[in-house]
Amino acid sequence: MVASARRRRTGLAAWGFALPFTVLFAVFMLVPVASSLYMAFTDMQGADLRTPWAVNFVGLDNFVEVLGDPKFHQAAGNTLYFVGVAMPLTLAIALLLAVLLNSGLAWFRSVFRVGFYAPVVTSIVAVAVVWRFLLQPDFGLVNSTLDVIGIEGPRWLTDEVWAMPSLIMMATWRNVGYTMVILLAGLQGIPRDLYEASAIDGAGAVRQFRSITVPLLRPTLLFCAVITGIGYLQFFEEPFVMTQGGPLGATNSVAYEIFNQFGFGNYGLSAAMSYVLFIAIVILSYLQFRLLRTEK
Amino acid sequence: MNRTPRLVVAATASTLTLALALTGCGRSDEAGTPADSAGSITDGPATGTLEVWAMGTEGELLPELAEQFEADNPDVTVNVTPVPWESSTEKINTAIATGEVPDVLQVGTTLMSGFVGLDGLAPTPDGIDSAAFFPGAWDTTVVDGTSYGVPWYVETRVLYYRTDLAEESGQEPPQTWADLTDFAAGLQDAGAEHGIALQTRGNSTALMYLPFYWQAGGEIMDDADEFTLDSDAQVKALTYYSSFMRDGLAPPVLVEDEKVANFIDGDLGSFVSGPWERANLLTTAGDDFADSFGVVPLPSDETTASFIGGSNLAVLADAANPDSAWKFVQFATDPAVQVDWFGTSNDLPAVQASWDDPALADNESVAVYEGALETARSTPAIPAWSEIEHELDLIIEQVIAGDLTPEEAAAQMQEAATSIGTGLD
Repeated sequence: MVASARRRRTGLAAWGFALPFTVLFAVFMLVPVASSLYMAFTDMQGADLRTPWAVNFVGLDNFVEVLGDPKFHQAAGNTLYFVGVAMPLTLAIALLLAVLLNSGLAWFRSVFRVGFYAPVVTSIVAVAVVWRFLLQPDFGLVNSTLDVIGIEGPRWLTDEVWAMPSLIMMATWRNVGYTMVILLAGLQGIPRDLYEASAIDGAGAVRQFRSITVPLLRPTLLFCAVITGIGYLQFFEEPFVMTQGGPLGATNSVAYEIFNQFGFGNYGLSAAMSYVLFIAIVILSYLQFRLLRTEK
Repeated sequence: MNRTPRLVVAATASTLTLALALTGCGRSDEAGTPADSAGSITDGPATGTLEVWAMGTEGELLPELAEQFEADNPDVTVNVTPVPWESSTEKINTAIATGEVPDVLQVGTTLMSGFVGLDGLAPTPDGIDSAAFFPGAWDTTVVDGTSYGVPWYVETRVLYYRTDLAEESGQEPPQTWADLTDFAAGLQDAGAEHGIALQTRGNSTALMYLPFYWQAGGEIMDDADEFTLDSDAQVKALTYYSSFMRDGLAPPVLVEDEKVANFIDGDLGSFVSGPWERANLLTTAGDDFADSFGVVPLPSDETTASFIGGSNLAVLADAANPDSAWKFVQFATDPAVQVDWFGTSNDLPAVQASWDDPALADNESVAVYEGALETARSTPAIPAWSEIEHELDLIIEQVIAGDLTPEEAAAQMQEAATSIGTGLD
């Protein structure tokens, strides 16, 4: 009896400590989640803001409309293209940089770390201005450099074929630093004696990377892959500031389409789109967990 | 962790049940509430406190106007809150939804229908004479037959051109469509890389294109509020508009940021823009550049037309001090005050009488706008317009890229607009 009373007191104390967070979480997270779920099944429009309950339930109509909308298909295709190329690219470059920084360069490590991390914390607006200059077709740095070696560079941001690769480059450059810093921390957790032992057994640098570094980094790689995947599926800032989804919708993403539909006051439709995106994020994260799980 | 999903479900379910229990759900049968009959403005000075929200430059400069109003009405206090344009729609929507509203609001002409759709604005009282304003400007205040505000300042689009290049090619400024094509070609022969720049993609492409559609005799909607976009005028205007890019007279893809720089360098002969562009040019190139360019109204075809923009002043339906709010609106749209305000902000008066004042009539750089404003028009004041405009932007871009013929585009525009609808219940 005494034990259970104590347990109850401990329980109460625990809840007491958790209460501030729980209340904040409920008000600022659960309520919006619940209301967006409600919206997704109604025909709510911008004009219904004052009377959010005076709307009709339309069942799955919004979802049917979203999944049958050619513009949404294009946006979904663009988003998958972006994630499919930019995510492996970001992870590969970050891993390469992390290994390089971890192996040699002890002197300059902090300089490089700051250098690669700077784009992560720079405002997208400033980044956009600089990248527009870089990618300017006639006098931009990229095409001027290509000119020197005799290649005529494309109109990066306004060509249907090249607009998405341009944004992929930009997004990779912006996000590689974050992933690199996490992987670097993971690398520093791998015991040195494993490398020494393998060197005695005659393993070269490549073999060490494949048989020691990658397997022991798996949990860190998984974390980076999931975080990058979640971020990249919500691809929005680059098309918003650089191309407005153009040319001819080639860089329109799901998140950008949601933003537009909200702006047009189609709350029900955009809430339904948000849930479609949410389901895609869940599926992608699940796949990554399956693929990168540490074997028992 | 494994408790969270259940928690979410429980919370969601309980929120919904509670909500459904509290309120009979579903739309009510009445189609929109009829507007309250417009009242009238009382006589006598304004009293009490007035909250005014304004955006951009107007938000910064409005305190000067407020001081004059306070001097005329000793018992009134005006508080001006500047609101950034970018987030203004969300802020105002939130204010209307919660009832925490200012008394007077600056509303961009194309945003009226959205706030009216939320029942946020009060109908204009009888004491305000619609005939005093440019007709195109007054039309922007009218949603579904009722006026919900008063035009405050206006802007319209005109043709900026390099006078030195025009002289060199021995041409007069263009008056017809055919003239404009020849004019652009002449400027190009005189040394410009492109004779003219027209927007080719992105937001507001339709606003640059529509004047040509109107000039060709086209209408967006007929009197019965049906869309009439699939017309011969549409085909004609799209053919004409895209001919500039097709014939190499205009950049096939216009990069907005480079327009002004190219114009100053002489690489661009002419472009279409509004009155604010003059200040842009002079700040970038120095005041001496004023002698190197001229401004003329857009050319006409079947008729004369341009796009009218600007802002209206509206009084909120839930305003705490509506009577004084309307007095403030009346004061701000008084012809003499409008002339003073032009001196303060360079905003062009929406009141026609103000244009007789020497401050405007003798000012060469603005006098050109008066003629253009008389026939300038706005896009329909319907809640769904922003969505339709977005579709038009995309279709026009495809015509310029050569992916759609003008005939296909006209049919697609009509189909897009009809499927979106007006947004009026």
